[in-house]
Amino acid sequence: MLWLTWRQYRGQFLATAALLLLLGAVFLISGVEATVNVLRDAPPGCPGPGAGCRDVNLALSERYQLVYQGFGLLPLVGPALVGAFWGAPLIAREYERGTQRLAWTQSVPLRRWLLVKLAVLVAAVALGGLMFSAMTSLWLPIFAAVQPGSFASPDTFNATGVAPAAWWVFAFLLGAAASAVLRRTLPAMAATVAVVALTVPVLVLTQGWYAEPMRAVVSGTDELVRQNALLTGEAWVDGTGREIGGRPEETCPPAPGVDVSTPERAQRATAACMTQRGYQYVVFYHPADRFWRFQLFQTAILLGGGAAFAFATMAFAWRRRT
Amino acid sequence: MSGAAKPRPIRAGHDGPATTVPAFRATGLGRRYRGSWALRDCSLALPAGQVIALVGPNGAGKTTLLHLAVGLLAPSTGQAWVFGEPVSGASALPRVAFLAQDKPLYADFTVAEMLRFGRLMNPRWDDDLARRRLDELDIPLDRRVGRLSGGQRTQVALTLAVAKRPDLLVLDEPLADLDPLARHDVTRALMAAVAETNMTVLFSSHVVSDLEGTCDWLVVLNRGRIQVSADLDEFVSAHRLFTGPDDSADTVADGHQVIARSGAGRQVNLLLRGTAAVADPRWTGRAAGMEEIVLAYLRDPDLAALPRPTLAVL
Repeated sequence: MLWLTWRQYRGQFLATAALLLLLGAVFLISGVEATVNVLRDAPPGCPGPGAGCRDVNLALSERYQLVYQGFGLLPLVGPALVGAFWGAPLIAREYERGTQRLAWTQSVPLRRWLLVKLAVLVAAVALGGLMFSAMTSLWLPIFAAVQPGSFASPDTFNATGVAPAAWWVFAFLLGAAASAVLRRTLPAMAATVAVVALTVPVLVLTQGWYAEPMRAVVSGTDELVRQNALLTGEAWVDGTGREIGGRPEETCPPAPGVDVSTPERAQRATAACMTQRGYQYVVFYHPADRFWRFQLFQTAILLGGGAAFAFATMAFAWRRRT
Repeated sequence: MSGAAKPRPIRAGHDGPATTVPAFRATGLGRRYRGSWALRDCSLALPAGQVIALVGPNGAGKTTLLHLAVGLLAPSTGQAWVFGEPVSGASALPRVAFLAQDKPLYADFTVAEMLRFGRLMNPRWDDDLARRRLDELDIPLDRRVGRLSGGQRTQVALTLAVAKRPDLLVLDEPLADLDPLARHDVTRALMAAVAETNMTVLFSSHVVSDLEGTCDWLVVLNRGRIQVSADLDEFVSAHRLFTGPDDSADTVADGHQVIARSGAGRQVNLLLRGTAAVADPRWTGRAAGMEEIVLAYLRDPDLAALPRPTLAVL
């Protein structure tokens, strides 16, 4: 069974390894290049939040804008590819070629055939996700000053820690279930990509609910962002600590003569006015030390979903035997 | 058929020694697809150690019955056993090999990889047998399955099934899609394998002439129901074809089971079952060929020739 799984998934194993190598090469080259060309001449303490670092930060951002943008897509593209090319063919390809009549009439019972395949491929996919995560974790610190931290940004949150492995396993099992239900590779691929594209934003948007957010009275969010906190909300409170309803602009309409030519200036003017009237600015956030807690929470959600998909795969393959 | 008494199932053929477990046994086996029955109320016992032919027109439910027999399909009603073990159970699987109609193999595997597949998936695998067979057939082991000819692919698929060393080999239309030479080769290879291993073979065919001289037991399936399950020789010798004048046909037919009645004008042919002779000297009788008997049954789905005692004990 091990050999058979390897033989049938040889293409996927090799293609995934090649893509991971390619990604590693891009990371390595951009990391080395950044170190040599931008960071070598940077003033001490740069890149960083200091005022003297602005030029270095800008140079680093601009130089690797394309790499960042590509990187930002990986938490979506990775699971979609894994689900479509590892999961969707699992049973659908057998049905399409009629080879389930060969595979399931050997001496290995269907349940064991499926369990071994699922277990081996889940392990392979999880290993691939961990390799991806390890490479990202080595690469990201170089750009830490100009990239949002690994907790604050959903892109990096889902590209580091155990998140990629959990996402890939989830997507693989989703694809497997789709292939057992639909029995056609292409529709199963399409359904898998669609569900992944739906699940990623849903989990990103609901991430803040994993724990009760902390509350802090601040003058601005810069410090929290620098500390890699995950911001979930903001509010203005009056002297009694009660949140005010409505937008702050309604409480503090811009006075005539104040410069509101850009949204930033208007916001600053409103904030100044609110502070002057005795209101306090409050943010809700998750501190950076909750990173692993959130990682494990999300992993539990994804693996729970994956287990349900694995069960559905077994149930459909068994019940709809033909 | 108007003058004939409604035929009743009568005992035809032997049930084998009472001590032998049937190679395949089914009670009330049925399978429904979206409301229509592909196979219904199928109860039969097939003797071990024989070559059993399952015949019937296209769409009669042959593939459904075979898929139920190897556990690829779950029954809607009833149960099935292979050598007394429930089909698709872990203990039945190693004892049964199946060759599906389209001879599925992994097209991107080499022949050697297909053999490795067979070896790893089957504890009773006979690697020597497989290699010897392919060597005799001049099929190169390093060739990709997708590049073999149709006949070669059938031979590889058959090799895979035989080298599993099953007690029951089930083949779905093994000779369809083959040219006459390949048909001959495959039939000969199959018969050699049977002689060598003493396994039971159950194969389906819609070409009745394929069966002549190859099978011991006959099962006729028509419109989802079992019509005949009998020892082939006994089944054939139980039928006689009589020819005589039209005016006395009803008298001759009276009291006999009329399987078929044909002929226009004054001469009439009657295919009678279980009849030694007809007293009327104007009538002549002769032995009927297997093909014409089977075709007569297929034309009238209400006819049945089943071993009733076997049914009773099931």
